[in-house]
Amino acid sequence: MPEIFRRNRLPNIAIAIVLWALLPTLVSRHVVDLLIFAGVYTIAGLGVSYLLGHCGIVNLAQSVFYGIGAYCVAYFSAQHGLPGVVAFVAGGLLSATIAFAFGWPILRLSGHFLALATLALGVIGQVLFLEWDWLTGGTLGIGGIPKLNLFGWELNTPQRFYYLVWPVAILVMWLKYNLTHSRNGLAIRAMRDAPDAAAVAGVDIRPLKVRMFVLSAVLGSLAGSLFAHYVGFISVDSFGIDRSISFLLLAVLGGVHTTWGPALGALFVTLVPEILSRFGEIHAVLFAVTLVIAVIFLPQGLGGAIEQWLRRYPVR
Amino acid sequence: MSISLFLQSIFSGVSNGFVYGLIGLGLAVIFRGTRVINAMQGEFCVIAGMAAVLLLEHWRVPLAVGMIAATLLGGALGLVLELVPVRALQRRGGNEDSFLLLTLGVAFAISALVLYSVGRDSVALPGIGGEAMLTIADAAIRVHAIWLIFIGTIVMFALKWFYTRTHIGLSMMAASIDVDGAATTGINVPLMRSATFCLGGLIGGLAGVLVTPLTTMHYAMGLLFTLKGFAAAILGGLNNPFGAVIGGVTLGLLESLAIAFVSSGYKDVIAMSMLIVIMILLPNGMLGRRTRRGG
Repeated sequence: MPEIFRRNRLPNIAIAIVLWALLPTLVSRHVVDLLIFAGVYTIAGLGVSYLLGHCGIVNLAQSVFYGIGAYCVAYFSAQHGLPGVVAFVAGGLLSATIAFAFGWPILRLSGHFLALATLALGVIGQVLFLEWDWLTGGTLGIGGIPKLNLFGWELNTPQRFYYLVWPVAILVMWLKYNLTHSRNGLAIRAMRDAPDAAAVAGVDIRPLKVRMFVLSAVLGSLAGSLFAHYVGFISVDSFGIDRSISFLLLAVLGGVHTTWGPALGALFVTLVPEILSRFGEIHAVLFAVTLVIAVIFLPQGLGGAIEQWLRRYPVR
Repeated sequence: MSISLFLQSIFSGVSNGFVYGLIGLGLAVIFRGTRVINAMQGEFCVIAGMAAVLLLEHWRVPLAVGMIAATLLGGALGLVLELVPVRALQRRGGNEDSFLLLTLGVAFAISALVLYSVGRDSVALPGIGGEAMLTIADAAIRVHAIWLIFIGTIVMFALKWFYTRTHIGLSMMAASIDVDGAATTGINVPLMRSATFCLGGLIGGLAGVLVTPLTTMHYAMGLLFTLKGFAAAILGGLNNPFGAVIGGVTLGLLESLAIAFVSSGYKDVIAMSMLIVIMILLPNGMLGRRTRRGG
């Protein structure tokens, strides 16, 4: 995003926006579905990607915050009929609180210990979503979640939701870009590359890490709330540890050092299985093999590879 | 709570713990030797367990032969993993995260392949000593579980001996600690990396054939094994061969006591919460001195 915007590329951007706007009218309903999921995953994956790329934190607990966002929608909007914004705010606050309470003691750890701690939180969340079925509906789930209503504009078709979810995703990416290049962003990078030097330079490491973790959790919750509104029915299956793994997967696949990497990663994990499904039963094997090949040939992720390519052939 | 129930949960906790410990041991071996966190360690178990069952059912080989062949298959799989994808990624300069993702991708591939070729059904393997039980103070333990604990202990001590007393074990450690230094002294570093993965695969395969009689095996179990083994290895400390087994037994006991005292639904919540608490209190691992910063 940064390089593209800085140079004289307005025509390209205009073309991209027109293409983006026309896309849902050109492809089938099913593909629009997938594009919306990709947008939702982008938002949640961005939090994971930022933590990994800039703070060196492997976050395997994102599914918990994703689930909290979704269940808040189910609880406040579907069961109590409150306006949509209540659920979004409640999900964000609850996620932020849990992320803070968990992050404060645990972010002293680093490396694989930290990964294991977030994994443990992910497992705890998965079990609690299942066991607290009086709240979450367990495996039976909760249905009848109303459609979002945005200033009188009912988001009742996939196309309309597409026009909500991607601008939100792009807004979040833009915020992330600004954060990376702010004073805090620089402090965070210093903290990752040379923790001791950063501490000497007056960077208080732990509060900064905790803040980033909380931010990532809020993004996860936002994505979960959007997901719940779109599908209208949620069950515990959507918030397992495998969801956390797929968020991590799309973050690394897209490239953790680029702003728009998570979007590419999200498109990959949603669209590639679809393309491969025409080969029948064996498509899951093919997807995994494609993934392995992508990792081997693009060590910097899809985003990193494209940025390298753009640098080599600058557009005037 | 009666003594026998308590003893019963100790038995099941220890035998599960040795399974987690063996998987964690394989993870730790590969991590020590190559700095790769192998996210497909659990798939070694799945492949070996499935292979043992197929050998027994279709070729009617004796149990011991099937188990040994399946364990060796695990080792071969580890070798192939290092020779093909891991080397290819290494040549292109992958970092730690990309190796994790690579092995995760291979894990998905194997799990999907097992689903495609074997199907969704769980398969069962007879245990060593069949279904025979041993009763101690009204608490029963399967003879197979005792064999599992016995073999796990032997593997643990053998690894300790291997890494401190044998030439190849020391070479494997040297190749991991200082690549250039090891190469200067004439150690074939790529060969040592291959050997490391092969050894990790063997241990994973052994864990697979030993756990299948206790839990049965199906295509989707690999990830769960990997997660539990990872927890065991990190908890005990990645740099100590005893660490994984002690971490595994701790985890297994936490789980089985949680089942006995609270409820089976919350066993993972309690085990994982305790894990977090232990990590906060003992940030160097249970045995580790050199495992600061999480290995």
